[in-house]
Amino acid sequence: MSAGVGIELQNLTVSFGDFVAVRDATVTIEGGEFFSFLGPSGCGKTTILRTVSGFQEPSAGKVRIGGQDMAGIGPNKRPTALIFQNLALFPLMRVWENITFAMEVKGRGKAERRRRADELLELIALPRQGEKYPHELSGGQKQRVAVARALCAEPHVLLLDEPLSALDLKLRQHMRTELRTIQQRVGITFIYITHDQGEALTMSDHVAVMREGFIEQVADGRTIYDDPATPFVASFVGENNCFAGKVAGATGNEVLVHTASGPLSARVGTAAQGSLKQGDDAMVFIRPESFRIANGSGSGAGRVTGTVSGEEFEGPIYHLFVGRERARPIKVSLVNQGHARSHAAGEEIVLAYDPAKAVALPKGKLAAD
Amino acid sequence: MPTKSWLGTFYTRNGLILGNCIILAVLAWILLMIVLPQIAMLDFSFSYDLPVYKQGGPEDVYTLANYRYFLFGYAGNRDGYNYLDLVVFGRTLVAAVFVTIIDLVLCYPIAFYLAQVARGRMARILAVALIVPYWINEILRAFAFRIIFGASGIINGSLIGLGIIDSPIDFVRENVALYAGLAYAYVLLMVFPIYNAIESLDRNQIEAARDMGAPWWRIHWRVVIPFAKPGITSGCTIVFMLAAGALAAPQILGGPSSLWFTQIIYRTFFESVNWSRGAAYAVILLVVCTLFVLLMMRIFKVKLGEIGR
Amino acid sequence: MKLLTRLAVGAYLLLFFGFLLGPLIIMAITAFNSSTFPRVLPWECLTFEWFGRLANDSRVLEGLQLTAIIGVFVVLLSLLLGLAGALLLTQIFPRARATYYTIVTSPILMPGIVIGIATVLFWDRIAHFLGLGRDSVFYHGIFLTVLGQSSFIASYCMLVFIARLQRFDEGQIEAALDLGATHVQAFRRILLPFLRPAIFSAAVIAFLASFENYNTSVFTLGHFSTFTVVIAQKVRLGLDPSISALAVIIITATLFLALLNEAYSTHAERHPGNPLRSLFRGGVSGFFASNPAAILAVLMLAGIFATVIYATRYDPAACKAEVLRKKLEIQQRYARPPTPQAQPRQNPPPSGAPGRSDGFGGVFNPQNLQNAPEAPAPTPAPAPAPPQKPRDDGFGGVFNPQNLQTAPSPAQ
Repeated sequence: MSAGVGIELQNLTVSFGDFVAVRDATVTIEGGEFFSFLGPSGCGKTTILRTVSGFQEPSAGKVRIGGQDMAGIGPNKRPTALIFQNLALFPLMRVWENITFAMEVKGRGKAERRRRADELLELIALPRQGEKYPHELSGGQKQRVAVARALCAEPHVLLLDEPLSALDLKLRQHMRTELRTIQQRVGITFIYITHDQGEALTMSDHVAVMREGFIEQVADGRTIYDDPATPFVASFVGENNCFAGKVAGATGNEVLVHTASGPLSARVGTAAQGSLKQGDDAMVFIRPESFRIANGSGSGAGRVTGTVSGEEFEGPIYHLFVGRERARPIKVSLVNQGHARSHAAGEEIVLAYDPAKAVALPKGKLAAD
Repeated sequence: MPTKSWLGTFYTRNGLILGNCIILAVLAWILLMIVLPQIAMLDFSFSYDLPVYKQGGPEDVYTLANYRYFLFGYAGNRDGYNYLDLVVFGRTLVAAVFVTIIDLVLCYPIAFYLAQVARGRMARILAVALIVPYWINEILRAFAFRIIFGASGIINGSLIGLGIIDSPIDFVRENVALYAGLAYAYVLLMVFPIYNAIESLDRNQIEAARDMGAPWWRIHWRVVIPFAKPGITSGCTIVFMLAAGALAAPQILGGPSSLWFTQIIYRTFFESVNWSRGAAYAVILLVVCTLFVLLMMRIFKVKLGEIGR
Repeated sequence: MKLLTRLAVGAYLLLFFGFLLGPLIIMAITAFNSSTFPRVLPWECLTFEWFGRLANDSRVLEGLQLTAIIGVFVVLLSLLLGLAGALLLTQIFPRARATYYTIVTSPILMPGIVIGIATVLFWDRIAHFLGLGRDSVFYHGIFLTVLGQSSFIASYCMLVFIARLQRFDEGQIEAALDLGATHVQAFRRILLPFLRPAIFSAAVIAFLASFENYNTSVFTLGHFSTFTVVIAQKVRLGLDPSISALAVIIITATLFLALLNEAYSTHAERHPGNPLRSLFRGGVSGFFASNPAAILAVLMLAGIFATVIYATRYDPAACKAEVLRKKLEIQQRYARPPTPQAQPRQNPPPSGAPGRSDGFGGVFNPQNLQNAPEAPAPTPAPAPAPPQKPRDDGFGGVFNPQNLQTAPSPAQ
């Protein structure tokens, strides 16, 4: 199997007439890594994928694969293989013929192709299914055949376009592990696009979060979650409580923000360091799991007061919803330690949090907007 | 400019070899087989009928002589107008309209029946029974009518046998055979578009109308026919153009008084060997037919785009 | 539905399909009647001689051969053009699409004779332009006919391809390209196999359309004669039941093929994926199970074989002699000298036909009788030849094209 190769997008812009799908994107993807593009529908991730595969010409900027500029090189000449969202398996060919199509195109003999097909069928855990036709396979099986077909072309980069979106939950979770395993075994670069952050975070080495053609942040999963670069990333990935307000004071990496729920202290997000000054509009993000129910009084920079508006018991975790003025209720997630007490609606409650776990960022667009 | 980027996309999508093959084939088809021949025909129609050695020479100029001949006949025609050709032309058009109406009346019920009433197996059998006659050559079909309508044909034979008439009716002379033959020839082409149109009509509309107490003729008049108008227009257009341009049926079934315009064109070409005049007549046929059809469409308010097969 | 409505509908259907199928049935019956003019009544003798005559008719056979040759070329050309046209339609930019579509489907609506004339005239101009004479290919009947017919038959093919292409997933071509295929490879390995059913249907439609074309061919063929042209001439000049025999053959063949087609599609419906393979695997019984069309087809085949064998053994001589004797009786009863009418086609009987030589020079041929119960045969026909037919158009019939045919030869 070929070794993974790196991809560089340099100031990539792709527009269709007046509509700009990708704006000035610059990303470096390491060889051999599992890289995801994450974002809501229409954010441009599919366009990037198609541009990298060669089906779309960039309007500006460059695509480099393995250091080589791909301008003018057609999709059939690039060292990439694309797995389409609808898989696009060839219905009139058998599974083994589908898988070895890339070899057939190069003129390889039938015996050689059959051997290779058997190998790949083993790899994707579908032994002896080669004689079937695609319409006889289940969704998950078709998925794997599509992967095998792409791998057979011995690409340096495998591109996957929301491959799991058509599958049911259990299968999706199973396939996540499968794909990751295959990638690690084979060692080539995977570029994966999805709108499901769970997938992106669990499978990838690095994630690029996109919104409306812009790349908001590129980092590993942990950083994306704990240290989001923009309010969009903060609110899109996982659940987050947003407190909007004005910066009252800044000390080093910490700021104090006056919000409707009181003064809140938080650490400034790494990407925003140095850009929050006194009087700026800021948003403080606190994850549901960062709150705990506080005893005692409700004042101070690390405390929030409110009224319980609802409760959800999920088993190992339970959620509390604390109402506040002119904003969505604060969601608090607590681990069920066995002595969870029920909170009645209307009850006054004081929440405490660790300021180090709260992130302050300049005001911006949220995911829900 | 849109064309330039479209060409780029086209070649990207199809590759150089395929892309060129496609464009070449389509251009060859459109130019060499559709557009240019029509232009050549127009060109001939506006030229004098010159022998080979005179072509390209000083006498080869454009003229309306052929069209004038159609209207006025040969130079010094005492009658003023070319009544022979004009009457035949008029008769052809009238006959074509007549055939179209006959076919419409004949086929509308069956189309409706097939589309809305018949079910499953019955429908398929009827459809097959409808199509089978059309696999038989149109000439043989005309021949069949000739046999039937002949003086010793089965119609005359049974009429005489039943004592209704004493001597055989010359159906051919009365042009009955020809009309029957032409109507017969285009039944399928009238049924099919109407069937298609009616088939997409929601049965519930008819039910609703019936519930409201509408008699069957009103249901058709107000619900079905307006909905099926594109199909009806489509069928009528096709039948009219084919009937006006029919050659085999008039040749085989036509009597002495039913010379068809197409037959005049035929003999102008092959017997008088006057290609220019033949071309002019062909152009006249084509243009008048097309105008007539467009006019009908305007009257019945159907747009060109709605006529789909 | 009320009883009255039911009756009315039933009557309408009966009349309609009677109108539709009646002529064919009657024509088929006349093929077996020994009377030399195709008729059903009076029924003379059952005979199969007309089929024999047909088989020996060299003009018909030559016509068939030419039709087949032209058909093959037309199919090839039309498939190519139609496919290219369809592919371009699916990719052309939207604003041009409507115009493009109108242009390429216009040949379907054009009168056949206009297409034929335009084709001849156009290539005449081309030949002139190139300085070539009448013996060049641009005047050749086959060349012109293939081009003339293909101009609209390609449109039919294109429509078939468009319908099929609409169901094609363009992603497959992209996938093929992505996997390294060249455009030509993707076309051959992915698109063409998908189009195979459409190619087949289009080819069949094209062949049938070419086979039965008359209006266009009549102008482009020149001195050649295709099957339809031969039949048309026969019908206008010399009517005899060999034409009916031809019709019977065509009807039977068509019905049989239709049954085969229906049987195959019923079978294919039940074995999706690869019906041909399951046919060979499942064996004969699997094919016929609850497949009425298949059973009918086989029955039909058996019936045809049986009839053919019967025909070779059957000799109508005795029956004919009897009929002749009866007619002589009638004739003698009226005691009028039989005047041999100018019925060139029906008399004298063609020498090749079995059992027809009655040695009387056709004098007692029933059609020759003026006052035989049935009217003399040629009158009802739009008598092309007999010049004594009065003409209404005031020119003495000079302009009637039928009158300009050469003298009808009896032995067609």
